[in-house]
Amino acid sequence: MIDRSYKDLLKMRRFPHTWCPGCGIGAVLKNVAMGLREMGWDYRNTVIVSGIGCSGRMGGYMNVDAVHTPHGRPLTAAEAIKTVRPDLNVVVLSGDGDLASIGGNHLLHTARRNPDITVFCNDNEIYGLTGGQAGPTTPKGTKTITSPRGEHYQPLRLNRILTTQAPYFYAKTTVYHLNHFKTCIHEALRYKGFSFVDIISDCIELNGRRLGFKTAHQMFKWFDQRFHIVEGVRDHLKDDELGIAMKEADTLPKVKVEVSEKPEVSLKDLKPFSLEELASFDGQDGKPIYIGYQGKVYDLSTSPLFQGEKRMRCHLGGKDLTQEIGIAPHGEELIFKFPIVGRLKE
Amino acid sequence: MKPRLNVLWNEIFCKRCVLCVEVCPVGVLSLERDEIVEKPGCIRCYQCERYCPDIAIEVMDEGNRLSS
Repeated sequence: MIDRSYKDLLKMRRFPHTWCPGCGIGAVLKNVAMGLREMGWDYRNTVIVSGIGCSGRMGGYMNVDAVHTPHGRPLTAAEAIKTVRPDLNVVVLSGDGDLASIGGNHLLHTARRNPDITVFCNDNEIYGLTGGQAGPTTPKGTKTITSPRGEHYQPLRLNRILTTQAPYFYAKTTVYHLNHFKTCIHEALRYKGFSFVDIISDCIELNGRRLGFKTAHQMFKWFDQRFHIVEGVRDHLKDDELGIAMKEADTLPKVKVEVSEKPEVSLKDLKPFSLEELASFDGQDGKPIYIGYQGKVYDLSTSPLFQGEKRMRCHLGGKDLTQEIGIAPHGEELIFKFPIVGRLKE
Repeated sequence: MKPRLNVLWNEIFCKRCVLCVEVCPVGVLSLERDEIVEKPGCIRCYQCERYCPDIAIEVMDEGNRLSS
């Protein structure tokens, strides 16, 4: 018996959805809704951000608040939402053409800043919406509508780009390996920080037919030949491995700051000042600025606020300031960094 | 929702991608005259429901299914 309560998170009255028969985005939508239901997230505490492309329609079919952003900018909108409202769970549902191609710069820098958002990238290795052109993740040698003799260039390897700088969470899975797919979704939603799930998906109508596959299931079998699952949490994933790559932040050794205690000076050894003598040291005619505080005389000549004039905001030099500092908005610790030059006579 | 022996098939949601037909380990589902039909012999593995991207097929509960 399958728990079908995930349907509350989908707008079932909008179904059937507009994707092609056999498209993997439907599976991504369904399993992400199941994952959100397992976590107990719903319309009260979750925001979906989606980009442009076939996969950008996923936000419209979820029964939670969704933002449909310009092309390539779902990560910037998601980070802004997370910054302003840290209590919300932010989930990005988008595709590889949106995240890795036109939003590639945002992907790098959002991963660097490490906000607590979860990204599900529907990676069908093609530009699906516009008719099957070669995209940034198209493997070398693949025949597409824009590369009829095989793609010339190396693909953008997200598994290497996103696992260069710790902390990171990168999971790679396919829509065929369903149990592994659900585990990756669950782990990514639980992870605190920027978590990226790269879901290899099938685009049967615009990519699979050109490659010679008749049905979506034949393409699934091709995924099964190309990839294999590695168990446990790795540091890095190779190109043909499915799994979770996770690493905590490199902890630098803390630098200890030695605080040397000032030696206590007994009051009797200090030079005695009367209030009249103290009043002459007010900074005028090149004299130092002395003030009295709790029976001690401090030399405030090095204070940048006292330079040039005898007045520091509302305090005057050459006076006993014990009462004034008691009612001042700042504390007495501002005085203790200045040297003691004497004591006040009783 | 059209009931079959063990599954409920939603003909409006279904796009006839025949993923459920190919993923079935015992091969009891088939597409005939543009409709999903079921032969007896379902082992209730739920693979068709799990893999369906359109939420168009559901395995019925044990009590609701038709006696084959």
